[in-house]
Amino acid sequence: MNGFLDMRVAGALILLLASVALALYGQPSLEQKWAFMAERFGPRLAERQVHIDPGELLALMNDHYIDLLIYDVRAETDWNWFHLVDSERVDLDKLAAQRDRLLALAENAVVVVVSNDEIAATEAWKRIMALAKPNAYILEGGLNHWLNIYGVAGEESGAHGETSLATPDGTLRHPFKLALGERHAAARPDERHAPQRDYTPKVKLLKKIARAGGCG
Amino acid sequence: MAPFDLQALIGNSGSYFLYLAIGFGFGFILESSGFGDARRLAAQFYFRELRVIKVMFTAIVVAMTLIFWSTALGLLDYDEIWVNPTYLWPGIVGGLIMGLGFIMGGYCPGTSLVSMVTLKLDGMFFALGMVTGILAFGETVGYFNAFWHSGAMGRFTLPEFLHLETGWVVFLVVCMALVMFVGFEWIRGAIYGKAK
Amino acid sequence: MNNVADKTRYWNPYVSGVLLGLLLFLSFFLTGHGLGASGGVNRMVVAVEDLVIPEHVDRTPYIAQMAGGDRDPLGHWIVWQVVGVLLGGFVSGLLRGRVKVQTYHGPQISSHTRWGYAFIGGVLMGYGARLARGCTSGQALSGGAVMSVGSWAFMLAVFAGGYGVAWFFRRLWQAGE
Repeated sequence: MNGFLDMRVAGALILLLASVALALYGQPSLEQKWAFMAERFGPRLAERQVHIDPGELLALMNDHYIDLLIYDVRAETDWNWFHLVDSERVDLDKLAAQRDRLLALAENAVVVVVSNDEIAATEAWKRIMALAKPNAYILEGGLNHWLNIYGVAGEESGAHGETSLATPDGTLRHPFKLALGERHAAARPDERHAPQRDYTPKVKLLKKIARAGGCG
Repeated sequence: MAPFDLQALIGNSGSYFLYLAIGFGFGFILESSGFGDARRLAAQFYFRELRVIKVMFTAIVVAMTLIFWSTALGLLDYDEIWVNPTYLWPGIVGGLIMGLGFIMGGYCPGTSLVSMVTLKLDGMFFALGMVTGILAFGETVGYFNAFWHSGAMGRFTLPEFLHLETGWVVFLVVCMALVMFVGFEWIRGAIYGKAK
Repeated sequence: MNNVADKTRYWNPYVSGVLLGLLLFLSFFLTGHGLGASGGVNRMVVAVEDLVIPEHVDRTPYIAQMAGGDRDPLGHWIVWQVVGVLLGGFVSGLLRGRVKVQTYHGPQISSHTRWGYAFIGGVLMGYGARLARGCTSGQALSGGAVMSVGSWAFMLAVFAGGYGVAWFFRRLWQAGE
């Protein structure tokens, strides 16, 4: 009987130690979670499977069957110069708070992350994937590219021309005369007059995997 | 990283076989632990037997520790596993009804299956009653739909509720279980004397 | 231990607990969900209903979500698990010679009384388990292990309910005093 008692005490101690160790080790942070997921989701970035053409984003903006959520992860000053209509500004380190919302998204929801180039947007994409694995995409070339296509000549000081996308540095390289935010024409281009784009559509609506759960 | 997409890995029949195997293990353990015997199960509520809490809480604590350690190490994705959504009021009322049913019937659904399959007549009557109760529920739930969905808090976990780190919640549960084991043993000794 | 079977024939409860815990973990790890019982029985009941009175099934929302139209209520993991539980329980009983027609009952009551109470208890259990969206396997054990608040509240309610009324029904289980 004594030996058995020792076994039970040993078992209890093991469990106590294991749980304290767990508390100290902690559950994975967003960065760690992404590291665990990288093998599975990394290729989507490397092979540019989730980078959508500005033309595709415009189509999404006009698609009434899709619940579109645009996260703009730039600084407030850039936001004030220009941002897309119906986009939401979220700081990178505030993304974690979006978790419940992302988990509750409907089947027809599509998330697009935008920044000036792709740098911040890519980081944001990783984080929201680690948070909730939503149906999320990145605006290819960022808003700099968007404005190259849909920008209106008179609104920028200096000649409006193609800003170079070759050396992305995360800054907004379209010098607007006025900080009109979303009241610039390019914030919601009229698709009847906007330049037509040829692109490969990449957005797919996920069929919500009925993670069949629980008792019945 | 677990959990895996079973359908993709082993197909439909493979998945069903896996569930069959898991169920087999469950039933085997239940019967081997004496949970097919209503007298032992009911005895828990008179402090004569402590089998139910010992098995149940040891299992919960062991599974919990393994689950959250696996998540910490990146082997398992906790976000992907099924966490019963909380519907507080029907859960509590249902639980109270089940407590009463336990005392009167001597089984719970899982253990009644084990009892029935080893030809225990009381298990069979219980199972018959269970089927009746289930039918009755299906027919009547429409009348109290609002209550049926009340207290809905979605995927609501203890760490979120207690505002504590997961690991500390595990630690607290382990402590609670140990206190219960020791405490109930003491109560048993106090009521029935040390003779076992 | 008065009028309960010889305890040495059953596994030590702590050992059982560890084994069950391992099984529960494996279940979550491999399949993403835990164990369950009442849900499987529920679906089997609904499947039979669907054979006999399909129009009624289609018109009752709670049942229709499982079997309405051409949905197959049995094409769900929990049904297979319940079948497994039956097999596992049977094999375990068979290996130890415990597959015998008999009635377990407390010393103060007869088999027939026991049958009556077993039936009523079953009705309560069946109804309660559906109301709680799970039973001790699905909610308490599995939901408890993954920290669901609802599951823990349920668990507390079951124990409160059981201990609360135990004294009133002691004649069913206890020896005469």
